[in-house]
Amino acid sequence: MTIAIVLLALFGSAWLLAVIEGWITTGRLSPAAPLYSGLAHLGRESILPRSPDRVFFEAAPVLLLVVAVLGMAVLPLAPDLVIADLGTGGLFINAALAYVLVAVIMAGWGPDGAYAMIGGWRFLGQLIAYSMLIVMPITAVAMRAESLVNTAIVGSQESLWNIVYQPLGFVLFFIAAMALAFRAPFDLPTAEGELGGGVDAEYTGVRLAVLRLARLTLVVTLASATTVFYLGGWYGPLLPPWAWSLIKTLAVAVSMLLAGRYLPRIREADLMRWCWVLGIPLALVNIIIVGLLILVVP
Amino acid sequence: MSSDPAINVTGARQKRSSVLQGLVSRALARNLSCLIVPGPEVALAHGLDVSATGLRISTTPRDASVLLIIGELPEKMGDAVAVLYAQMPRPRAVLMVGAEAPSTLPGADISSGLSQEELTEAVGRLEHALAEGAFADSPEDFDADVLHASIEYVCPMHPEVVEDEPGSCPKCGMDLVAREAGESTPEDGHDHEHHHDHEHHHHHDHEEHEHEHEHCHDHEDQNQHDHGHDHEHHHGHEHHDHHDHEHHSEHEHSGHDHSERDHGGHDHEGHGHGASGFMSMIEVTKDLPRSADGLQMDWLEVPFGPVFPGLPGGLKLTLTLDGDGVTEGQATSLVGMTTDGAEGEGSEESKEMDAGTFIEHLSSAMPMAPVSYRLLACLAIEKAAGLEDDSENAGTRNGALERERIASHLGWLAQVGRQLGFAWLTQRASTLQLQVRDADRNRLGELEPALRALGTRLERTPLLKSRLKGIGILPIDSSDLRGPVARAADEGGDAWARLWQRLAEISASLELIRSSGEPELPSLRDIGDVSGTGEATVDTPRGEARLSLKLERGKVKSYELDTACSHHIDLVPKLVEGRELGDALLAVGSLDLSPWEVIS
Repeated sequence: MTIAIVLLALFGSAWLLAVIEGWITTGRLSPAAPLYSGLAHLGRESILPRSPDRVFFEAAPVLLLVVAVLGMAVLPLAPDLVIADLGTGGLFINAALAYVLVAVIMAGWGPDGAYAMIGGWRFLGQLIAYSMLIVMPITAVAMRAESLVNTAIVGSQESLWNIVYQPLGFVLFFIAAMALAFRAPFDLPTAEGELGGGVDAEYTGVRLAVLRLARLTLVVTLASATTVFYLGGWYGPLLPPWAWSLIKTLAVAVSMLLAGRYLPRIREADLMRWCWVLGIPLALVNIIIVGLLILVVP
Repeated sequence: MSSDPAINVTGARQKRSSVLQGLVSRALARNLSCLIVPGPEVALAHGLDVSATGLRISTTPRDASVLLIIGELPEKMGDAVAVLYAQMPRPRAVLMVGAEAPSTLPGADISSGLSQEELTEAVGRLEHALAEGAFADSPEDFDADVLHASIEYVCPMHPEVVEDEPGSCPKCGMDLVAREAGESTPEDGHDHEHHHDHEHHHHHDHEEHEHEHEHCHDHEDQNQHDHGHDHEHHHGHEHHDHHDHEHHSEHEHSGHDHSERDHGGHDHEGHGHGASGFMSMIEVTKDLPRSADGLQMDWLEVPFGPVFPGLPGGLKLTLTLDGDGVTEGQATSLVGMTTDGAEGEGSEESKEMDAGTFIEHLSSAMPMAPVSYRLLACLAIEKAAGLEDDSENAGTRNGALERERIASHLGWLAQVGRQLGFAWLTQRASTLQLQVRDADRNRLGELEPALRALGTRLERTPLLKSRLKGIGILPIDSSDLRGPVARAADEGGDAWARLWQRLAEISASLELIRSSGEPELPSLRDIGDVSGTGEATVDTPRGEARLSLKLERGKVKSYELDTACSHHIDLVPKLVEGRELGDALLAVGSLDLSPWEVIS
């Protein structure tokens, strides 16, 4: 039952996100658009490139979807609304998200094309930039909660949300999450103006539908993680806890979509340099500040 | 399904009995995405707002169901268009705007004139046609010469052994390897390595696919990507060609599509799959050229364009990539005007053109700046006819020229937005471009705050400066610079300087229009049956263009045209060399090349 509810919330959010994305890009608000778009994809041919690595090509979109669902499995929507409240939840989500890289490289390698392949390798480079900025802010979050259990992490924010307690960590995590979801302005692996779609470019029909769904779901999962780690999860007045979780998740996801609209794509070299020269020291500073706060403030 | 015989979509998909099919067809018709050929900037230059018609603009053929072709396409683009069409998943359709379908395509499903109303109406008809006819009982096969390759079999060790049939080498007994006829044996080391890689890959594939398509013989053997050498029919393939020879999976046989093969990529990708698993990297790379960073890597020659989201349509960029870095590159225009032969100097009597026809001809040949070239032709003809400078019309003529400059620079901003994935900029600049395009003086005055706000906004956009600063710096000795590119050379000469130069020119043009007359399309004064020669110069949005022509009894006998883009395109190799791919494309984009204005 819990599984069904969480999955419903996940895909429901992805649906809403697709509607909002359509609204932003076309200016038309059409709640049925994702349904039509999905049906249209089913109606199109799903072309196999000339000499694909069949296993990689077929598996990549599915793997990406599985990663997003797995990540969501450890994120609580309400105190008792979580598929698996693992003792190592904070760690598990890292492990799950590591497979995003695998899926993207497979999608890059699979179709046997230059654009996709460059896109896949670009994402490998991008991993070096963002991955520490996913792990290190979570470390500080877990320090405050004195636990890696995600429900305990939300519980630790009852009086004060982490976005206020450790704003630096929030900013770093939010940016890294966007890079991990490879949404604009971090869309280096897909970069339409540079790689003509990159890792997405060769997918058509049903496979493309799965890939699109997976990418949206991944954004929802990352937004949900941001909510759990920094925005006090289910806490909020009046509305039931799950509603707060969903509202916050959607707000984060929409802001991720919007940010890309108003920014040019970042240069790969700049992303790498800023993450290492600026991001990692800042993440360390964040850990030290949080450590001091824990020691000083009772 | 409908029994209406009039509805016939050439790119229909094989019909299968399914209750869902009707629903899916309607969903398809409501969800049309189009690939614009030659490119969205051409649509905007013609004043067409494609997204307002309900079509979604797609950046890849894989994601498009409609091939939207705008204006007359030069012959050289024909093959590229055929490849694009072949890459689109069925059901697919061709929508021609303002021209006939190129001979390489099965023909237009829907045609429309070059106006927003006609386009909107045509999209409506197209939606109807697809809703009714997306699935057909016997879909037509699509085939074009460019999609074929004849295959020959060669021995990897003995280049002189070339056979028509697969087999083994009479000299050494090795299995012969398939390649496309016309390719010569790779000469340099790294190509050779690719070749070996391909063999492994190729055999592996061969088995796998043979089960899938037992009834289609021989195509797998053409699975050779090692097009190390350019040959003629490979010109003009767009950004997806490297996939080439695609096959439809077993669930997806629709009609006869599996006979399609759109090859033409010159790239060598795919050299890696499953290859050389038993070889050490040192062994594999020992003969490869070294990159700037000292690593030995495979170099890929990858085509970008002539229909590529980040480049002006009609421009074909061939880059040799070393990972994500560009080692060398060159640009060619597939839509450029040719003045030699039929139309230019030394042309035959029969080719001489009436002065009015000549003006139309020149302005329609330059869709990115029709007003400038119309003015140029008018001025040159009037000069040849010995007329005095026209002080009366100068104001309105300059007004039209400056208005086009504003619109053109806005079009460039939209293109930069497309290149950078900066959706807001693309949308804002395109909207403004469409409004400026035929605005009168009052309307331009109203638009002025919005135009100035654009500059302020860009100044405040984070990441933009770090993205553009230092990109596309031109060598100091490049003396062939003209227009905004030349004027920005003093301010740093990079893409960032060019951005600000163009924004400054937008402001300056607004001032000029305020002090000059109402913008009006230049028209030729009465010249009579005079003869003579004349030369004129116009500062087009992309730089100075010079036209000299010879009149004989009121007809244009011959002419010579010199444009900024013809010179700027030669700067491309220097701009891209040694750059990271994204920076290289941005550098090329910052030149604002109009491939139409490249004279060959």
